[in-house]
Amino acid sequence: MTTSLFLVQLINGLQYGLLLFLIASGLTLVFGVMGILNLAHGSMYMVGAYLAWYFVEHTGSFGVSAIISAIIALLIGIFVERTLIRQLYRRNHLDQVLLTIGMIFVFNALQGILWGNDPLGVSVPESLAGAIPLTDVLEYPVYRIFVALLCIGIAAVMYFMINKTRLGMLIRAGESNREMVECLGIDIRKLYTIVFAIGVMLAAVAGVAAAPMSSIVPGMGEHILITCFVVVVIGGMGSIKGAFVAALLVGLVDTFASVLVPQLSSMMIYILMAFILLLKPQGLFSS
Amino acid sequence: MLFNKRTERIFIWVFFPLALLMPLFLAENAFYISKMTSVMIFALFVMSLDYLVGRCGLITLGHAMFYGLGGYLFWMIAPEYEAVNFWVYTFYICMIASAVALVIGFLVLRTSGIYMIMITLAFAQMAFYFFSDSIEFGGNDGLFIYVKPETSIFGLSFFNLDDPVHFYYLCLLSLFNTLVFFRLLIRSRFGRVVDAIHENPGRTTALGYNIFLFRLMSYVIASALGAYAGYLFTLQYGFVNPSMLAWTTSGSALVMSILGGMGSIYGAILGTFVYEGLHYTLEHLTEHWMLFMGALIIAMVMVFKNGIAGYMEKLLEKRS
Amino acid sequence: MFKSKTLRHAVVASLATLSLSSSVMASDEPIKVGMMLPFSGVYGALGDATRNGLKMALQEQASNLHGRKIEYIEIDTEARPERAPEIASSLLNNSEADFIIGPVHSGVAMGMLKVLRGQDTVMIVPNAGAGPVTGPLCSPNVFRTSFSSWQPSYPMGHVALEKGYKKVVTMSWNYGMGKESLDAFEESFTAGGGEIVKKILVPFPKTEFQAYLSEIASINPDAVFVFFAGGGAVKFVKDYDALGLKGKIPLLGSGFLTEGTLEAQGESAEGILTTLHYADSLDNELNTQFRSAYKQQFGKASDIYAVQGYDTGLMIASAVNQLGGDISNQNALIKALESTTVRSPRGDFTFSTAHNPVQNIYLRTVENGENKVVEIAAPALADPARGCKL
Repeated sequence: MTTSLFLVQLINGLQYGLLLFLIASGLTLVFGVMGILNLAHGSMYMVGAYLAWYFVEHTGSFGVSAIISAIIALLIGIFVERTLIRQLYRRNHLDQVLLTIGMIFVFNALQGILWGNDPLGVSVPESLAGAIPLTDVLEYPVYRIFVALLCIGIAAVMYFMINKTRLGMLIRAGESNREMVECLGIDIRKLYTIVFAIGVMLAAVAGVAAAPMSSIVPGMGEHILITCFVVVVIGGMGSIKGAFVAALLVGLVDTFASVLVPQLSSMMIYILMAFILLLKPQGLFSS
Repeated sequence: MLFNKRTERIFIWVFFPLALLMPLFLAENAFYISKMTSVMIFALFVMSLDYLVGRCGLITLGHAMFYGLGGYLFWMIAPEYEAVNFWVYTFYICMIASAVALVIGFLVLRTSGIYMIMITLAFAQMAFYFFSDSIEFGGNDGLFIYVKPETSIFGLSFFNLDDPVHFYYLCLLSLFNTLVFFRLLIRSRFGRVVDAIHENPGRTTALGYNIFLFRLMSYVIASALGAYAGYLFTLQYGFVNPSMLAWTTSGSALVMSILGGMGSIYGAILGTFVYEGLHYTLEHLTEHWMLFMGALIIAMVMVFKNGIAGYMEKLLEKRS
Repeated sequence: MFKSKTLRHAVVASLATLSLSSSVMASDEPIKVGMMLPFSGVYGALGDATRNGLKMALQEQASNLHGRKIEYIEIDTEARPERAPEIASSLLNNSEADFIIGPVHSGVAMGMLKVLRGQDTVMIVPNAGAGPVTGPLCSPNVFRTSFSSWQPSYPMGHVALEKGYKKVVTMSWNYGMGKESLDAFEESFTAGGGEIVKKILVPFPKTEFQAYLSEIASINPDAVFVFFAGGGAVKFVKDYDALGLKGKIPLLGSGFLTEGTLEAQGESAEGILTTLHYADSLDNELNTQFRSAYKQQFGKASDIYAVQGYDTGLMIASAVNQLGGDISNQNALIKALESTTVRSPRGDFTFSTAHNPVQNIYLRTVENGENKVVEIAAPALADPARGCKL
């Protein structure tokens, strides 16, 4: 592999990893704070992508569409938490698994009814349509760099929010001791609603951001869900920092494995996960 | 008494006689026989998972690996155009699956909770891609089994596997035996230790038990039975496909097991029949069956605190 | 001797007429058409289009069915191979379907074949290209109205050579259909002196193509030949454009790369060369009629999957018509199906002895969001049907 190709693949890996982080961050946040394993997280990613397509068709602007989609996702999150998730806080994890699997069915069915089964595509917004030449043949699209920067931005905001704001303080407190937070007179249920809604929104935003560079198809959520779980588990459940590091790791390993060991590339991220869990059974950054 | 819950006894007395008599009424419709057979085979698989998840507290999302392995192993070790002995190959397949489970269990049981879910998934995905990527194993399109085994013991043969009704009874017998086996296991000394580990691992360790060893044994037993179920599935239609090992197969089994009532063992049969029954009914009624299926699953989680078995027990058990 | 034989013939013939007339009288029993197609998930769009086409054809042909009504039994396979034998058994034994149409997915095809080969029903494959279906596993009661994966890709090797390409990278998902397509291209391309410099197999259903495309760019071959379909095809074509390979390294493909996906691919698909047994812009009256009728009925453009479904319907109708509405004799039905010339929007086609279409393969290019025919890449091409003993 030449140096220039190596560098290109490095960028590819980082970019993929950053997108994975964006999707996985919501999952790990919700698990960390609420202890809920949301298997329907991938469906939210799918919903985000479909919403982005729908509103681009109707408003013509990607920016407007992104904002509307994010707001709708937030509302879906609040609704789902209030009506369904809330009933199951005192039940065991497996009931939550069953509930969220039921939700996957419902979201998939709704997607089929509302938008049909044809593959859809969103074009890259005009203002971000250019590309930067890398080699004679290869260039790098501006939009993908923009998405990578967006992911870094969101990571920074999350870091700031969790470590420096009141909400973040409550989140951290809720993670370590639910009863104590309640004793301090804080409505933990409201906190949970907010956190769950943010988690849903993060998944949907990832779907919106990915829409112009992927194909929008039924079942797109399930495939990404497993990869996200790999990321979250390698990083240590509930750790945002862990998810960030793990996402980059998975992105890089997957990218380089595709080129260097193609025979094993399908298994590589699972080998990585098994290996890390055997060394550190709680993931890299477990609390 | 072996079956110490009244609900379980009622269930057994209703289900097994009905299942025993069913072919007499429906023998002319080959489909009902084959559908019942495949649901029973999957119920056996779910039961092995239910023991692991419900009784041992070991949640796995990789159990389908053994289900698929059961099928592929038969293709690998049996000669292509020669009828082998069913019982001998059952033994071989369970032994090989146990050996695999021993190695994998040794690795995955160091973790627990969500991490164990994921590491079992990791191994299952590796196995899935191993079979679906290799041309020698038929790749994505799977493989055919052309000759079904014969079932003689000491020259006596009770089942002819080419006859769907015979195969049906073989699967019914297997299901019943598995249920009795798990009940005996749970009642045994071994089972009581496993229960204690599930309740309180720390205290059980303090009593001098090596909990890792007990968990490993449970994992091996459940995996061998899972492989047996996969072996039966493969024999039913003579067809093996990597989708048997897919995580969605593990996921469905987990759903059925939770639905039936975790750890109740007979609930696995309930969960599987209810899930498959709903699926079959809904997909023949409407193209949007997923919507109703999803809504029903959600409703059932809300209503049943401990699955269907738990709900029935609430109605039928005498409060004491 | 001669006489008695004639006599026997006469008796048999009159008996046959008798039974024919009696069964025509009892023809209020509908013809049962079972469908095993994916109506949800990644392959859902293909299942929808196939079903639409099939129903449209049988509706149009209603007057040729000798009063027989059609009853549909539609089951979603979810593209899950492990469920295939059971659903097939349900349609065969429970619904007693006369025709079983399906599937889209090759793995499901294998599971169906296991149950349906040699049974008292006719299985018609409206898409899945798996070679074995009309190869080693061919069977008198199994037909295919679509293609074998060999067919659309084989002629592309010659096209590439004509264009003067010497070094080509091939790429597809690592599954049966993909591998068979790449092999077919390689067969004709290397026979004519071309060289495959690299063959890339992407794990199915992964759609992260960036790493592979970067590698292709560094190899800088004369052209790239790929097999992708549906959502993966959309993503691949968009990535190929976004990473700047479009316009620099010509992209060739098995025609599924640009079928049912052009709207989603947009500008990125312009100029791609593909070979397939159909093209939207085929200049024949039937195709024009078909396309406008389809658009009117379903509110969207038809694609190859719709055509394949449509042709399946035409084939059934033609056989029912030939037999005067009585399809109870399976041998006669199979004879009738075998001898059918399907007047299809893709052009007339017949069936090979292995029951696979003998059809033209067209070279197409994408122009203004449509597949335009450049030329006939291979006229009346028959699959070699390796291993079929029919």
